[in-house]
Amino acid sequence: MSAVLHAHPESGPALGVDAGKPRKVLSEAGQRGRWWRFTAILAITAIVLVPIVVTVLLAFTPGPNSTATGLTFENISNVFSKTLAATWLKNSLITTLATVIISVAVAAPAGYVLSRGRSKAVSGYSLLLFVMQSLPIITSVVPLFILFAGMGLVDNLMGLTIIYVGSTMTVATWMMAAYFDSIPISLEEASWIDGCSVFGSFTKVVLRNSLPGILSTAIFSFLLAWNDYLVAIVFLRSNEIFTLPMGVQSFFQQNATDWTSVMALAVIMMLPPVIVFATLNKYFSVGGIGGSLAGR
Amino acid sequence: MALTTTQSGLSRARRGVAPGGPGTAPVKRRSKLSAQTSRTFFWLLLPSVVLLVLIHGYPLIHAAVQATHDGNLLQTGNFVGGENFSTVLTSPAFWKAAQFTLWFTIVGVFGSWLVGLGLALLLRTKIPAGGTFKVLLLLPWVVPIVVSSTAWNWLVATPDSLIPSLFRNLGLGTPLFLADPTLASITVMVFKVWVSFPFMMMMISAALASVDSTVYEAASMDGATRWQQFSQITLPLIARSTYISWILMTIFCVNDFPTIYLLTGGGPVSATTSLVVLAYRTVFQDFATGPGVAIAFLMTMTLVVISVILYRQIRKSSVE
Amino acid sequence: MSAKSSIASPAFSRRGFLGFAAAAASAPLLAACGGGSASQGGGGGASGTVKFWDMPWATPAYNDAAKGIAEGFSGASGSKATYQTIQWNNFYQTFSSAIASKTGPAVSTGGGFQAFQFEQQGQIAYADKAIEKLKASGQFNDFLPGVLDPFKSDKGYVAVPWQLDMRVFWYRKSLFEKANVALPTDWPSLLEAGKALKKVGAFGFTTGAGAGNNYANHSMIMMMVNNGGGVFNKDGELDLLNDRNVEAMEFVLELVSNGIVDPAAVSYTTDNMSAQWKDGKAGFGLFQVNVPERVGDTSGDLLVADPLTGPHGDKATIVFPNNIMMYTNTPSQDASEEFLVYYLGQLKQLWQKKLMSALPVFKSITELPEFAGDPNNVKIVKDWQPIAKTFASQGNSLNANLAALDGGQALNQFSQTIITGKSDAKTALQAFQSGLESVLKK
Repeated sequence: MSAVLHAHPESGPALGVDAGKPRKVLSEAGQRGRWWRFTAILAITAIVLVPIVVTVLLAFTPGPNSTATGLTFENISNVFSKTLAATWLKNSLITTLATVIISVAVAAPAGYVLSRGRSKAVSGYSLLLFVMQSLPIITSVVPLFILFAGMGLVDNLMGLTIIYVGSTMTVATWMMAAYFDSIPISLEEASWIDGCSVFGSFTKVVLRNSLPGILSTAIFSFLLAWNDYLVAIVFLRSNEIFTLPMGVQSFFQQNATDWTSVMALAVIMMLPPVIVFATLNKYFSVGGIGGSLAGR
Repeated sequence: MALTTTQSGLSRARRGVAPGGPGTAPVKRRSKLSAQTSRTFFWLLLPSVVLLVLIHGYPLIHAAVQATHDGNLLQTGNFVGGENFSTVLTSPAFWKAAQFTLWFTIVGVFGSWLVGLGLALLLRTKIPAGGTFKVLLLLPWVVPIVVSSTAWNWLVATPDSLIPSLFRNLGLGTPLFLADPTLASITVMVFKVWVSFPFMMMMISAALASVDSTVYEAASMDGATRWQQFSQITLPLIARSTYISWILMTIFCVNDFPTIYLLTGGGPVSATTSLVVLAYRTVFQDFATGPGVAIAFLMTMTLVVISVILYRQIRKSSVE
Repeated sequence: MSAKSSIASPAFSRRGFLGFAAAAASAPLLAACGGGSASQGGGGGASGTVKFWDMPWATPAYNDAAKGIAEGFSGASGSKATYQTIQWNNFYQTFSSAIASKTGPAVSTGGGFQAFQFEQQGQIAYADKAIEKLKASGQFNDFLPGVLDPFKSDKGYVAVPWQLDMRVFWYRKSLFEKANVALPTDWPSLLEAGKALKKVGAFGFTTGAGAGNNYANHSMIMMMVNNGGGVFNKDGELDLLNDRNVEAMEFVLELVSNGIVDPAAVSYTTDNMSAQWKDGKAGFGLFQVNVPERVGDTSGDLLVADPLTGPHGDKATIVFPNNIMMYTNTPSQDASEEFLVYYLGQLKQLWQKKLMSALPVFKSITELPEFAGDPNNVKIVKDWQPIAKTFASQGNSLNANLAALDGGQALNQFSQTIITGKSDAKTALQAFQSGLESVLKK
C-alpha cells in the first residue's frame, strides 16, 4: 500500500469512520460513567442555555397587545405577516449563500497557492493576508461606502456580498491552505504524470478530496455573513433589501423597542445555522476546521 | 518508502518547483515548466489579491491618511504628522483601555479554550444524545449578539434580575453585576467566553476526531495514567489547531465591538472600555476622527505583532 | 473624476477592473475635495425628486404616516419626494458616508445637533428662504415662542425645528401617598421626598447611564441649568467649574449618598429604566413626554410634576429641539424648500394620530383635542416649555460642539462618576472640563 492512504487518514475517502468510537463492549463501570457524563453535560448545557431559553420563551410569549394566553406562535406569525421578515430571510439567505460560495471559490485557489508555492512572494502574501484583516471593520465601513457608492453598489445585496467575501476571505484562505497542506502532493504528482495541468490537477484531484476543509471554511463564512449588522446598517437603506440582522435593528425605535418582535426574529435567525450545523455535524467529526488546521 | 516521496514532493512544491520536474531538476527544464506553474499560480491568486486590495488595502490607506490628519469623516483636513498618535499615547484613557483589552483578550482566549476543551473531551466519549448536545452547545455562538446581550442584561442588570435574586436568596448579598466596575469587567468577560467557547469546542472536537483511538488503547496498555494520556498524547496532537484557534480568537477578542458595547457601553466609568470601543466612541461620539483612527491603528499594530509571534509557533509546531 | 463617472456608467463590464483601481486611487481625493461631478445625482434624480430621510422617532406606524405625508408632496414644477427610514444605530456613519459619496438626502431629520456638524463641513443649505415662505403664509406666527432662535447662526437658519424632545420630572402618585410625603417644589423638598420614598422601597431620582442610555447625562445638565448654571457661559465658552454647577452636583451627590439614586442606575439601559417606572420602583425622576404610553402604564398613576425651584430661585429644564435640515446636494433648492414648508404644514396629522412622544413646535397643534386631551401634555406646554433651555446653556445658539457633548465620552463618564458617588463635585467637573476641552473645536 502506498503512504498516500496511511499518512493522512483525515483526508481522502475515509470520511465515514468515527475514530472516537470505542470498539469494546462497555463494562458495567463504563456504563455508569457514561450516565455520569450524560448528567454532567446535561447540567452544563442547561446552564449555558439559560439566556437562550429566555430569548426563545419571550418569542413565544404573547405580546403586550395580545389576547392569547400561554405560549403562542402569534409573534412569529406576526413578524411574517406584519413585517417584511420573509423578504429579509430571503435576502439573508441569498447574501449568505453567495458569500459562502464566492469566498470558497476565491479562498480555495488562493489557499492552494499558499500551500504549494512557497516562494518568498507567496509566504509574504500569506502574512499580508493575516495582517490586513486586523483593522477593525468599524474604521473601514465609511471609506468602503464612499468607494462602493461610486460604483452603484450601495443599498444593494451584491455590494454587501463583496464586502462579506472580502472580510471572510483572509481567514478562509488560511483555512483552505491549512487543509491542502494535509493532502499529500503525491496525489497531484500522479495526475501530472497522467498529463494533467497544474490547474486541472487542482480542480480534479485536490478539490475533490477537500470536502471537510471546504465545509469548515463555508461554515465560518456562513456565520460571519449571517450575523453581521455593522456593515449592513451603513450599506443598506431600503426595507426590502434588509437582511435579518437589519430587520432586528429596525425594531429598535427612538423611545421603545418592540422586544417580542426582536425575539421572534431572533428565533427565526437561529434556525438556519442550527440546521446547517446539525446536518454537517458528521463531517466535522472527521477533519473539520480544527482537524484540517491541525494537519498543517 | 512512499512517505519519503511524499515529503520530498511537498518540499519540492514548497520551493516552487513545477510538477513534472524532478526534485533536483536541471535549471533549463525547470524554468520553462515553473513559468507555466507561476502563471497558473498567478491566476489562482488574482481574485484574492483584488479583494484584499479593495476590501482591506484601500481602507487601510484611508485610515493611515485619517490618522495623520486633523479632519473629520467628510474632510481630510491638514496633515499633522504624529500628533494624533502622541495625543493618544499620552492619554490615560488609552492605557486604561489597553489594559482592559489585554485582560479581556487573555480571559476570552484561554477561558473559551478551557471550556471548549473540557466540553470537547466530554463529548468525545460515548454519551447518549451526544450529537444533540453538540448542536445545542453551539447556540451561544449562533444567536445574534444584539439578542443575547439583551438576554444577559435581563439576567443580571437590576437587583431584581434572576441572578442577583438567586445570590440574595443564597445569602450572598445582592451583587450589581453591571454597576460595580470589577464585577462589570468580569461579567463582560464571562459573556465573551459564553459567546466564544462553542467555536473552540468545534475546533478542538474536530482536531480530536482525527486522532486515532488505538493510540490511547496502546498507551493504556503501557500503563499510562489518564493525565499522562492527556498531556502526552492529546495535547501535542491538538497543538497546531490550538495555536491557530488562539490566533483567531485573539483577533476576535481584540476586534470585538458589539459584545462589550451592547452589554455595558464601556461603563461604568469606562471600566469595560476596550480599545475598539474607545476608538468607536472617539470617532463617532466625540467626532475626533484622527485620534480615534490612530487608536484603531495602534491596536492593529499590536495585533499584528501578537499574530506574527503565534504564527511562528504554528510554523515551528508543523516542522516538529 | 472621469474614472469615477466611467464606473458609474453602464459600460462597466469592459473597463471594470481598470476603473475599479482608478476609483480606489482617486476616491480619497474625492472624499477630500467633496466630490465634484458625481453622476449618482445627490438628493435624487434629475426630475426634481426630493430625497427625504427620517428617523424611527416612534413606532413603525409613525414612519408609515410620515411616509404618507412625504409621498403626498407635489411641487409647483412637478417635483416629488421619496421617503426613507434611517436606523438610529450608527446613524452618523450612515449620514456621513452618504453625504461624502453624494448619495445623501436633500432634506432630513436626524440627530439633534447633526445639522450644525454638517453645516461646519459646508453641506447644509440655509433655511432662510424657507422661513420667508413660512412668514408669507403666516405659519411662522404659529411657532411656540423661542423655538426658532437656537437655529439662527451668523450665516442663516441652519435648520427648522419640528418637535421638542422635552425633559420633565414625572412622579408616581400612589408612591407619594404611600410614603406620605408632599410633592417636591424645590431642592430641599426633593431630598426629603427622596428619603421618604426610600422607606417604601422606591427611588426619588430615577435615572440611568447604561449602554445607549443618555438620561443620566440629561439629568446632570438639567440640574446645572436648574441652578442657573450650564456647560457653557453666555459667550459660549466652556464654564463647567462655575459655582452654580458645583452646587448642583454637590446636591446630586447628596441624593446619591442618601440612597435616593439606585446604586445600579449606572448600568441601566432605557429599558431597565422604563421597567422601574412600570414596576413602581421609580417614585420621581426626569423623563420624556408621554411616559405612561412608553412604559405601558396608563392607569393615570404616572403624572407630570411641577418644575423645581433651584436654591437661587431659578427654574429651568432642558429640551432637544429636533429639526429638519436641507443639504446643498439637492436636485433643486427650490424643491427642497417647497418640500420643507409643505412637510411642516402637514405635521399636525402625526399628533392627531397620537403617534408622537414629543411636543409639537406649533401652537395650533398643542390646541388639537388629541393633544390637549391629555392633562400631562397640557401641563408640559404650560409649565415646562416656557422654562426649557438647550444644551448650549447658559449660551443661546446651538452649534456643532454640542454633538460631541451630547453623545460624547466626557459627559457620559462624568454622569457615571456622579451617580456612583465616586468623586467629589469639583474633581468630577474638572475632569469633565478637561475631557471636553480635548474634543471640542475652538
